[in-house]
Amino acid sequence: MNSSRTDAARRQKFDRLVVVFHGDMYRYAAWLCRDKAIAEDVVQEALLRAWKSLDALRDEAAAKHWLLTIVRRENARHFERRRLETVDIDNLTASQSALLAEAPDEQLNELRGAIYELEDDYREPLVLQVMMGYSTSEIAELMGLKQGAVLTRLHRARLKLKDSVARDEQE
Amino acid sequence: MSATNEMMNCDQYRQAVAAEPSFDGAAEHVSDCAECRAFRDEMRALDADIARALQLDPPALTLPELPGIDAQDKVVSLAARRSPPKARWLALAASVMLAAVIGLRMFAVGVDNLSLADAVLAHLDHDPASLVASATPVSDEALIKAVPGNLAHMDHSAGLITYAQSCEINGKTVPHLVIQGEVGPITILLMPEEKIAAAQTLDGDNVHGVILPVGNGSIAIIGARDEPLERIEKSVLSSVAWST
Repeated sequence: MNSSRTDAARRQKFDRLVVVFHGDMYRYAAWLCRDKAIAEDVVQEALLRAWKSLDALRDEAAAKHWLLTIVRRENARHFERRRLETVDIDNLTASQSALLAEAPDEQLNELRGAIYELEDDYREPLVLQVMMGYSTSEIAELMGLKQGAVLTRLHRARLKLKDSVARDEQE
Repeated sequence: MSATNEMMNCDQYRQAVAAEPSFDGAAEHVSDCAECRAFRDEMRALDADIARALQLDPPALTLPELPGIDAQDKVVSLAARRSPPKARWLALAASVMLAAVIGLRMFAVGVDNLSLADAVLAHLDHDPASLVASATPVSDEALIKAVPGNLAHMDHSAGLITYAQSCEINGKTVPHLVIQGEVGPITILLMPEEKIAAAQTLDGDNVHGVILPVGNGSIAIIGARDEPLERIEKSVLSSVAWST
């Protein structure tokens, strides 16, 4: 009886976390791998792993960071199995181009394309900062970088996007 | 980023704002410099657009099939693959005292080994911080704290040690270390009290590894599926010495 109550409580805890953070897990995965179908696979793997190691999460306040860390690792595993190929934005698969098709207007669509084309090293900290609300020290911890390196990457990422927007406006 | 640095020049200020558009330091400079104010406003407007551009609608939530939560389900099929064959069980049942004693002894050894291998694999995800690729070495103090002198001695020759904690496996204190491999982080568990007769291979979710017998204890080395562990096994073994 105690065991079934414990199991139910565990499942409730998991369901609660999933409902709250599934969207963030998916968006993070999608911008890491730039492919909607792969992102869904990565999130499924991450959810399974989170379920298996849920008992390791003792502080639910750290749940988002914990889950995003698992997503990051699962994404890396995915591409360890299938080495990441260089993506040519003019020659995308349907699943890749689907990521770019969601912006509500032309200007945002161009910006989304520019973000898509950013190098992984620049895109990831930008996503973590702007979309996930991470501080630069939190990004540094998650990515295993020094804070100075994170600041440099964020600075360069925004300047690249600024230049890209300026070019689009001139054309 | 310090918000108190009021001595920034234009380049420094713009670098800070481009890295963090919410940066609100150098107030005196920005109040005197129209170009920097314009740059700040441009960065903040760009950031608002970036935030909108990054938004994606997640698909409907579907959960994967969630396995049971007992320890055996936390790892992949290791137990099943190592279960004693039926013939062994039949032999046990068919024999009386001597065969039972021998059979039970064999079974006991098997169970012990399974428990250790499963415990090692189940421990991998206990702390996500241990799984992060990093170039930052742990301090000597942290290493000594995780590997106390009465347990073992470990030098840095195995590789860049980026994580060191004292953990518990099977009720015993186990130094948990991570070094950076060619593919990703490599977990090393020093188990001076877990004696095994022979090396055991580990096969988990996208990871592989080995538990090597070392004196009266053992050392587990686990990395990503593609990680060439054999290259570092020797250096790990030579970097560790039990204290007892």
